[in-house]
Amino acid sequence: MGTIKERGSTHVYKVNKISKEEMESMVARCVYEEPPFCSAACPLKLDVLAFLEAAAAGSFKKALQLYEKIAPFPLILSAGCEAPCEAKCRLSEIGEGVLISEVERAVSRFGEQSKLGGVFRSKKRKSTAVLGSGLFALMLAGELEKKAYPIKVFCEQDSCESYLRACAPFLDEESFAVELKRLRGKDIQFEFNCRMDAAFYDDIKGSFDVLCASDELRRSLFPEAEPNQELMFCEEQGLVSGRTEGVLGAAFGAKKAALTVDRLAQGLDPRNTRGQEGSVESRLYTDLSEAAALKRVPCPEEGYSREQAMEEAGRCISCHCEECLKSCAYLKHYKKHPGLLAREIYNNTQIIMGDHQLNKPMNACSLCGQCTAVCPNDFDMARVCLLARKNMVSTDKMPLAPHEFALMDMFFSNIDAFLSRPQPGFEKCKYVFFPGCQAAAIAPETVKAAYRDLTERLEGGVALILGCCGAIASWAGRDEMADQTHEQLDRELARLGDPIVIAGCPSCAKELRENGAKDVRGIWDVLLELGLPEGAHALERPAALHDSCGARGDEKTQAAIRELASRLGCELVDTPYSGDRSPCCGYGGLTAYANREVAGEMTEKCLERSDAPYISYCMACRDRFARQGRESRHILELCYGTDAGSPPDISEKRKNRLALKNELLQEIWLEDAMEDKLDYKLLFTDEARELMDDRMILVEDVIAVMEDFRESGEAIEDDDGLLVARRRVGNATFWVKFSLEDGGYLIRRAWSHRMKVVKREG
Amino acid sequence: MAIEKNYYTIDPEGKIRCFKCKVPLIKGKAKFMYLDNGFPVELPVCPVCGYVYVPEELALGKVASVERALEDK
Ligand code: SF4
Ligand code: SF4
Ligand SMILES: [Zn+2]
Repeated sequence: MGTIKERGSTHVYKVNKISKEEMESMVARCVYEEPPFCSAACPLKLDVLAFLEAAAAGSFKKALQLYEKIAPFPLILSAGCEAPCEAKCRLSEIGEGVLISEVERAVSRFGEQSKLGGVFRSKKRKSTAVLGSGLFALMLAGELEKKAYPIKVFCEQDSCESYLRACAPFLDEESFAVELKRLRGKDIQFEFNCRMDAAFYDDIKGSFDVLCASDELRRSLFPEAEPNQELMFCEEQGLVSGRTEGVLGAAFGAKKAALTVDRLAQGLDPRNTRGQEGSVESRLYTDLSEAAALKRVPCPEEGYSREQAMEEAGRCISCHCEECLKSCAYLKHYKKHPGLLAREIYNNTQIIMGDHQLNKPMNACSLCGQCTAVCPNDFDMARVCLLARKNMVSTDKMPLAPHEFALMDMFFSNIDAFLSRPQPGFEKCKYVFFPGCQAAAIAPETVKAAYRDLTERLEGGVALILGCCGAIASWAGRDEMADQTHEQLDRELARLGDPIVIAGCPSCAKELRENGAKDVRGIWDVLLELGLPEGAHALERPAALHDSCGARGDEKTQAAIRELASRLGCELVDTPYSGDRSPCCGYGGLTAYANREVAGEMTEKCLERSDAPYISYCMACRDRFARQGRESRHILELCYGTDAGSPPDISEKRKNRLALKNELLQEIWLEDAMEDKLDYKLLFTDEARELMDDRMILVEDVIAVMEDFRESGEAIEDDDGLLVARRRVGNATFWVKFSLEDGGYLIRRAWSHRMKVVKREG
Repeated sequence: MAIEKNYYTIDPEGKIRCFKCKVPLIKGKAKFMYLDNGFPVELPVCPVCGYVYVPEELALGKVASVERALEDK
């Protein structure tokens, strides 16, 4: 069967199978990092989720800290904020949205203030002054203090008290007292009783690095000045000021102005590097299907109590999109949202020298397409991972180890176990049955029964091709090998008279269709037309139907299988994630070979949907579920009354394919099959068979070692008295531990490694 | 190659024998090679025919982890 060439490690060239632009646009589809709708609507960018979470947990101190990030005077903002967040709360679409503004008020009232750190913080060098009173001026002073600027406020009033009263006349007495204390606690210097006229302005303007003024004062000093409202800046006068409206408007204006002060203090153009300011539209997706349509906790006149605020805050469902992470075991395993993972995997392909740390995740995706089906924006992780694999292959950087066994298995299917024959009595056939390599490996009796049935009931001749469709090479990203396989099949199809392909596996059907086969049908469609064969029966218990990822997006096939199940008399139970949203069993994309841990988690994910027995229509699914101990049947087993029994190990899967070919050759084409018989006894302990299956060591590999031993007599005698022989086969060295038995060998253990070992001189 | 670091050393301590040559294996110099990289090691070697033995624990442990690391280079 030959070997596959290992990858090189000295090639240093670049290939871009996926362009940076496509990558970026793909990454942008993932909305995981989008802000929730409430935060997006807040021009001050309150982290509403964290805020409500803290409040719901009763940590009002923490909630207040978060709120103070946007509000230097929490009671002032919460008393008058128009709360655009509330209007955007998704819960308002099904019931009443969270009353965020009242939770904010409660937190501002009950939250314990953190220690006043201002006095001890080191101050910035540049000095600032805020002239005049009003909400904007007050909040700007608060913002600048937060940014640690030395700041002086000049006002007409004669005390902090009267200043605050002038700025926020709407505060009730209790709140006023709290905010007054807060203002006094801040590191802000005051100069009271100022005249606030032009002469005064000229007087002080040279003493500060940056000057700011209230809207009112600016208008009286510079009636003609036209402030840039984005920057809150009058460029000509060099004065930070602008118009604002309402409490939230003042707070937002103060935020923008504080940023302008920052830029000016650093000698920069205030227009540049400001980042995204103000409210935005969020593209986030929230699944509301499980959210309850609830009413608000009624809010009394005087505002929420602690308990009421906690309860109301607790109604937030923490909007975030994790549709794919919920459904895909692979994404869940790597705990990364696909936008980020895709970017990392893309970057991995661009590494010329150094570690490719993302090889494992790149090869662990089952390329099943479920994420695309569940993602509100059709994020296509399969495409990213497949193109990344192709990229690695074409730059000769793809390690062979993760996929070698599967690829060699494909060669086995298409060389040793390959069979292509027209039905006896026909030269050209109208049909060809293509059961797929997994069906031949796992349920050979079912394949036989199906072929006999098709030849008996269809007119025009039914040929048979036993082999692999090439999906294995395609999944490995090895286009060249896949093309060779497709060409091999094309040649055979032409020889058989371009028959209609009857596929036994939806993944084969897909692979064949995508690679030029003209007319490909599923055997399920043919059976619906012909009617059920004799011996067909239902599963006695209600069963879960597992849709194959090969049939994703193929409504017709999904419906045909259901129709077949219903004609069989099967009672199907509903499972979450069925149809197009079905998860992969772990075989797809070669996950089962490249990353057995993730593949196992995928199988679990499939099985956690139901306790019932599983009916599937892909042999790989049937096999993986059975291996996990679940009662599992392929729909063809039910149609033909066959039972493939307990799942075969990797060597039995090969033996089954070979035996199927040989038996069919003898029984149907009356040809004598070549069969290699060993002229010595080869026995295995159960432990050895288990080890071999786990370590992907085939009986053939063991035979190769033993043949070598018989010829050379080379072995060692280990300290346990057993013999160990070895042989290099392909890219691996196999070691076999055995004892000599009467007329043969008892194999006890086996292991392998890919590194070559040689004796070193000196 | 005077200061060659050995990545792994196994001394058979006379407990393992060459089946063909009927002599105990001794600690000897060997080399692992994979994907254009080489590692000097000391493994049980037959002093007569030069047969080098890689025990199971070594193959599944150290050797396997070095292989994985090199594959992702
Ligand atoms: S449910 Fe929570 S996170 Fe979602 S919009 Fe409403 S307040 Fe914001
Ligand atoms: S395993 Fe399937 S659902 Fe998960 S990322 Fe890959 S293609 Fe998407
Ligand atoms: Zn020897």
